[in-house]
Amino acid sequence: MSDRSTKTLPEMTGAEALVKLLEAQGVDVIFGYPGGANLPIYDALRNSKIKHILTRHEQGSVHMAEGYARVKGTPGVCLATSGPGVTNLVTGLADAFLDSIPVVALTGQIPRSALGTDAFQEVDAFNITMPVCKHNELVRKESELVKAIDGAFYIANSGRKGPVLLDFPSDLLAENFPFDLSEKCHLPGYQPTTQGNIGQIKRALRAIEHAERPLVLLGGGVSNSGAVEEFLSFVRKANLPVVRTLMATGVMSVDDPLFLGMIGTHGNTTANQLVNQQADLILIVGAKLSNRSLMRPDLFRKGSKLIQIDIDPAEIGKIIEVDIPLVGDIKETLREANLRIERKPIRVGQENWCPKPHVRTKTMLPKADSAEAMEWVFDRLSEIDQKLHVTTDVGRHQLWANHHMINPKHLPLITSGGLGTMGFGLPAAIGAWFADPETSVVNITGDGSFMMNMQEFIVAVEHDVPLTVIIINDYRLGMIRELQDAKYGQRHIAHDFNRDVDFSLLAQGMGGVGRTVHRLEDIKPALKEAIDSKKPNIVCIDLERLFRLSKVNFEEAS
Amino acid sequence: MSDSVERRHVIALEVEDKPGVLTRISSLFSRRGFNVESLTVGHTHVPGVSRFTIVVIGDERELEQIRKQSQKLIHVLKTFHVVDHDTQSELASATVKPQHAVMRELAIVKVHYDEQSCRPINHIVERFSARMLHWSGVDLVLEFSGTEEKVDAVFEELKQVTVLESVRTGKIAMSVEPYKAP
Repeated sequence: MSDRSTKTLPEMTGAEALVKLLEAQGVDVIFGYPGGANLPIYDALRNSKIKHILTRHEQGSVHMAEGYARVKGTPGVCLATSGPGVTNLVTGLADAFLDSIPVVALTGQIPRSALGTDAFQEVDAFNITMPVCKHNELVRKESELVKAIDGAFYIANSGRKGPVLLDFPSDLLAENFPFDLSEKCHLPGYQPTTQGNIGQIKRALRAIEHAERPLVLLGGGVSNSGAVEEFLSFVRKANLPVVRTLMATGVMSVDDPLFLGMIGTHGNTTANQLVNQQADLILIVGAKLSNRSLMRPDLFRKGSKLIQIDIDPAEIGKIIEVDIPLVGDIKETLREANLRIERKPIRVGQENWCPKPHVRTKTMLPKADSAEAMEWVFDRLSEIDQKLHVTTDVGRHQLWANHHMINPKHLPLITSGGLGTMGFGLPAAIGAWFADPETSVVNITGDGSFMMNMQEFIVAVEHDVPLTVIIINDYRLGMIRELQDAKYGQRHIAHDFNRDVDFSLLAQGMGGVGRTVHRLEDIKPALKEAIDSKKPNIVCIDLERLFRLSKVNFEEAS
Repeated sequence: MSDSVERRHVIALEVEDKPGVLTRISSLFSRRGFNVESLTVGHTHVPGVSRFTIVVIGDERELEQIRKQSQKLIHVLKTFHVVDHDTQSELASATVKPQHAVMRELAIVKVHYDEQSCRPINHIVERFSARMLHWSGVDLVLEFSGTEEKVDAVFEELKQVTVLESVRTGKIAMSVEPYKAP
């Protein structure tokens, strides 16, 4: 930039430039928590139309940004201060990284002159967050600020989406500089592939045509790239049976004849048999094949030809070698494949080769400790026929919800799949509502997960969020007990909370409405009242009492 | 896995010369479980572009994975998998064909030079075409360069004399195949 042009640019502080750029990016809400180092940004936010949501913990802010991004499809923005502010973001950044959610995290840093001196609230945010972000930067110079912000939004929301963190020294935020707000990022090393190679698409279609027992494995990437329509049209045209991963709820309806359930440690037996033993060709669409999905990569590979579509070249062949790699955006790649099938149909007149229809209730989930009663809750929730954004936490309830939440108006479930972050669901639900304030939100959680971030319920009360938190309360860490039963010879330790919490009273203490349910017939009215009230509610399901009481009822009735 | 034999591989990366790029690359290698045998980095003829040459041990599929993961880093411009003449045929099945390359290493060695050691040292200097960089009157600083095998041989020969200090750069490599503009 020449001296002459700098003189014509208006001077403003780094924070003012940042806020103007966020507005230009279309940011309407920021979830944040102030501290010494990011106060210049707060000062600039006072004069902005961007709404700031004060969370009760920084971890809440990043999960809210994730929930927001999952619903809106554009990056969620969170803001934290230096030191503990940024370390409290790490879990959420890692969560967004593993589930490919676009998040832009902004953090204040101590002034440049004090960097590296172990100053108050100084941590090396750049190096701490590097392995859990798609990209991150410490903005060291005024001249880098505009490009860094432009780049952060572009990187977060293109290619395989993910979190980007920008760390701003507070002096850079506070001092005046003639920023050129029209600058754009220049990223010569970042060119995400979008269109799949035509030759590979042709090879894939030929392989599918020649397969006897082809199967599609549907992953979270399909929703992430907004390719649900293209996907459905593809599998229908080619008459291909489909199994899914945990992250791919809401793409295919459970009663779709082509749908055969979920694979993995907590999936359906049928689906696992299909991928491990029966299929002779598997088309993997947007799945990263973690060890929870693919219990036996050796069997998966054996005897079947593999085709993999993914926008991330590094995902292809990461876990298992594939025969036909297809790097590209799923939406564009499937659109091209669909055009080709329309011109030259494949698998014409082929019967559905799958031996058994999908039985939703035949899962690999252990039924001990009243777990079955969760099915009753989710069945009744599914009967509430209105659009809802539903989040889950992590534990038994998450997997039961994954199988039994079947109303397409409630799907896709917003869940923490890759990182398995307990405490994700409540803030994610609040974030989801800010992305779509017309729709009520529901957080399905367990008592363990809820207590990890329950302070954020107060944020829901503050903003009058139509939120229903359904706590499946078993007074313990149910999945830990399940694992100790299965793998540690029923040697139990550290799973029991030993102190009961009255969650209904807790809800009231935080300004919301609370209910406890222990009878089967009360579930539906309680859920309905809570959701209809359009207020922050906690419905606590006392799982074991519900199960016991209802069993008695059933026995009496029969 | 069709090929899980561990071998030495060389990856070359062209990167934007930005703060932290060395950390990004080294932490990626350590996170994915790669043992870095040597890593060299320096500027190229293009302003703002640096080049890494990294020697790692791993199987071919893992290597391809780490190359792809490196390519994902925003500041990494280009990645190459380069290979010496000898191992070329063994790696013919790699997804991205490794490129035929020349590789060199440089070593600087400080030796004690006196009446006793002058003959073997002179012999080594001549045999390996070393350059004499500095002579203090007591110690001699020598520069050797060549293939890794040659530098290994230098160190083998140096066992006859008293080595006071030594340093090796690790490999640098360049493909000898016709240049294709990106």
